[in-house]
Amino acid sequence: MSATAETAATAPARPAGGSRLDRVPPRVLSSAVGIAVLLLWELLARTVYAGSYRLSPPTAVVVEFFEFRGLYLRNLWHSTKTAAWGFLWGNLAAMALAVASTLLPWLRRSIGAVVLTVFCLPFIAIAPILRLITGPGNATPIALSALAVVFTTYVAALLGFDLAPGSALDVVRSYGRGRLTAFRSVRVRASVPALFAGLQIAAPAAFLGAVVGEFTGAHRGLGILTVRALGALQTDRIWVIAVMATIVATGGYLAIGALGRYLCPWSPALDVGAVPVPHAEPGLLNRLAGLLAPIAVVFVFWYAFLWVFGIEPFFAKTPVDVWAELFSVSEAPETRSIIFGALGTTLWTTSLGYVVGLVGALASALVFILVPWLERALMPIAVALRSIPIIVTTPVIILFVGRGLLTTTAIVAVMSFFPTLVNCYTAMTRTPEGILDVLRSYDASSTANVRNAYLPTSVPALLASARIAVPTSLLGATVAEWLATGDGIGAVMVTAFTRNDFKILWVSVAVLTIVAVIGYWLVAAFELRTLERMASGISR
Amino acid sequence: MARRGAPVDVVGVGRTFALAGDEVTALSGFDMHVPAGGFIALIGPSGCGKSTALRLVAGLDTPDEGTIDMDGSSPDEMRRGQRIGVAFQDPSLLPWRTVTTNIRLALELVGRRHDTKAVDELVELVGLQGFEKARPSQLSGGMRQRVAIARSLVTKPDLLLLDEPFGALDALTRQQLNDELQRIWTARGTTTILVTHSIPEAVYVADEVLVMSPRPGSVVARHTIGFERPRTRELLLTDRFHAEVEAVSASLHRSEGQVVQLDTDPS
Repeated sequence: MSATAETAATAPARPAGGSRLDRVPPRVLSSAVGIAVLLLWELLARTVYAGSYRLSPPTAVVVEFFEFRGLYLRNLWHSTKTAAWGFLWGNLAAMALAVASTLLPWLRRSIGAVVLTVFCLPFIAIAPILRLITGPGNATPIALSALAVVFTTYVAALLGFDLAPGSALDVVRSYGRGRLTAFRSVRVRASVPALFAGLQIAAPAAFLGAVVGEFTGAHRGLGILTVRALGALQTDRIWVIAVMATIVATGGYLAIGALGRYLCPWSPALDVGAVPVPHAEPGLLNRLAGLLAPIAVVFVFWYAFLWVFGIEPFFAKTPVDVWAELFSVSEAPETRSIIFGALGTTLWTTSLGYVVGLVGALASALVFILVPWLERALMPIAVALRSIPIIVTTPVIILFVGRGLLTTTAIVAVMSFFPTLVNCYTAMTRTPEGILDVLRSYDASSTANVRNAYLPTSVPALLASARIAVPTSLLGATVAEWLATGDGIGAVMVTAFTRNDFKILWVSVAVLTIVAVIGYWLVAAFELRTLERMASGISR
Repeated sequence: MARRGAPVDVVGVGRTFALAGDEVTALSGFDMHVPAGGFIALIGPSGCGKSTALRLVAGLDTPDEGTIDMDGSSPDEMRRGQRIGVAFQDPSLLPWRTVTTNIRLALELVGRRHDTKAVDELVELVGLQGFEKARPSQLSGGMRQRVAIARSLVTKPDLLLLDEPFGALDALTRQQLNDELQRIWTARGTTTILVTHSIPEAVYVADEVLVMSPRPGSVVARHTIGFERPRTRELLLTDRFHAEVEAVSASLHRSEGQVVQLDTDPS
């Protein structure tokens, strides 16, 4: 990193007491920590957790893999292929939508709303609905995998197109050429770095979509293998699958990152999670239109989906059917109490998990800032873990924590911990040196530094992470509930699924999606207000 | 009124940085004496170690050789005793705080957060009445610098260190702030060291101007500026002032020339 030279020249003498560990190269430290974790894991699995089905020792995982390597590699290959197709179609769709949003600005809000809604869908529950259209084959996992990448790639591509330098666009305009020329000659090229940042995130996401699609039924693939192993309490098998999924998903993340750096070496690392939220246009009517038009578009899509695929009325439920199911038919009160009761449980366990992950992440980020050698030892591991689709490793957590409300909380906590930690720590390191110098010149305590500099500078990153975390946490929670806990709306959906009760399934999907979208917008609104109040000084 | 400032004695200070496997000597044999309540300006070509010198005096960095003594204390002791005020070229305000609370930050850090009178006094002194509740993003560059100056003064430091605090401003605002700086200094008698690029600025505000050589920086000329105080803008138009500026300018050019000679000397 170029920062090293700069810090060497400007970094003040750290207060004495800086550890000797500060001189050990980060690679050595991380490797040492990695080995220590493996040893501890082995030790725990062989002693405390021996024979408990909760934890497999690493050696057993390796042995299990080699013993059944044919089975594992066959299924891994299958899921990877599924994810690759999903990656392809999802990204193509996302890029087409981003191009449309850029060339036809009046469509932007509506497209954005549809894409966000897709992102907020509880994937695990729409698998059975998609399967009605696609049949029992591999198309549902591919479709889910594609849907899982649409949002991030769309946002990244749009950001990339918008990042095109205004002056270059003016040059094109000054030659009397229009939007299309500007797009071809300037925007496409300018979007490459941001696009790759988005594609990088899309790689693990596509894998996640594929595996979640397989959770609900497939002939082959890691997802269905996991579900069977979970039923049979084959701990080693579940661990092998989680490790393989982690390696492949992270490998995709790293490979695309390397490709991006190779193609655009001039570009700094972009953080797509930190996309600014759009400003509302002034005027009540405009605002109302801005709010209602996207909602209308989403409902149009809903009807179009049912109509295009000609789904039978027994399975297909329109918005009107869902409304009736919740509010007007005779068993509506009962449905309401089931759905909203379960939703309450889900929201409660999810929020608790999120807050636990958030507090843990903030505390860790602060410790890393204050104790540099710890950061050098652990941060590379955290960065690597951030790219893992944690949802794929849900079964491992289910085994370890057990089946109960705590499982959901644990999964959401783990899911929110790593991205929040990495984003907030990165933001904290960007605290202006000048401000730190002022604090140092008064011999400010660590507490004062944290309160006055590090914590406030991390707020934008924190809120950006929180916004994305609303849909992903709900997805994690519903997957955990679907697979294991028997509580919450995930359990309601899996019951409906096994009973072929498509009314409840549609109602649950609709309610969950609406909750996720509203949650996303609440955080976005709060984010906008906070950033305005905290002024532009610290945002990018 | 305010305590009298601390005298500063810098003797034979050197500082070398490791930079990308290379070693860069920023300062070598740097000497400086500032009497209690004195106002010194440090001037020199870009990269001559002016800022490094100031950071060493502020206790934000430690010298590899030489000593820095202030009234019997080391810079680090001064810093830990919270007797120093600093303002840099970048005002380094906290964007989420208002004018008042940014100034109060320094008081909070030294444990006197309730000294609202001192804050009000300084808001007035730097001419920011009516902007107390404004945030940095709502202020102009000059106003932000005034907040930074006010913050550096609010703890009534014994030593005020200014690193090109007006560097990014237009000439008019800069002159205005120099007038205010002089006024504040006259009222408070704080020992002040100002790092600047501008010769007229140095001559206008300081008792003594130290001219530094290019890297490795050391003091190559001292100019005592004898103009009576308070100095006014009329001074800028006088021949005496121009002669002084010319003299400092000549020293500065000589200092750069010397090094070129040294570099080309085959021995």
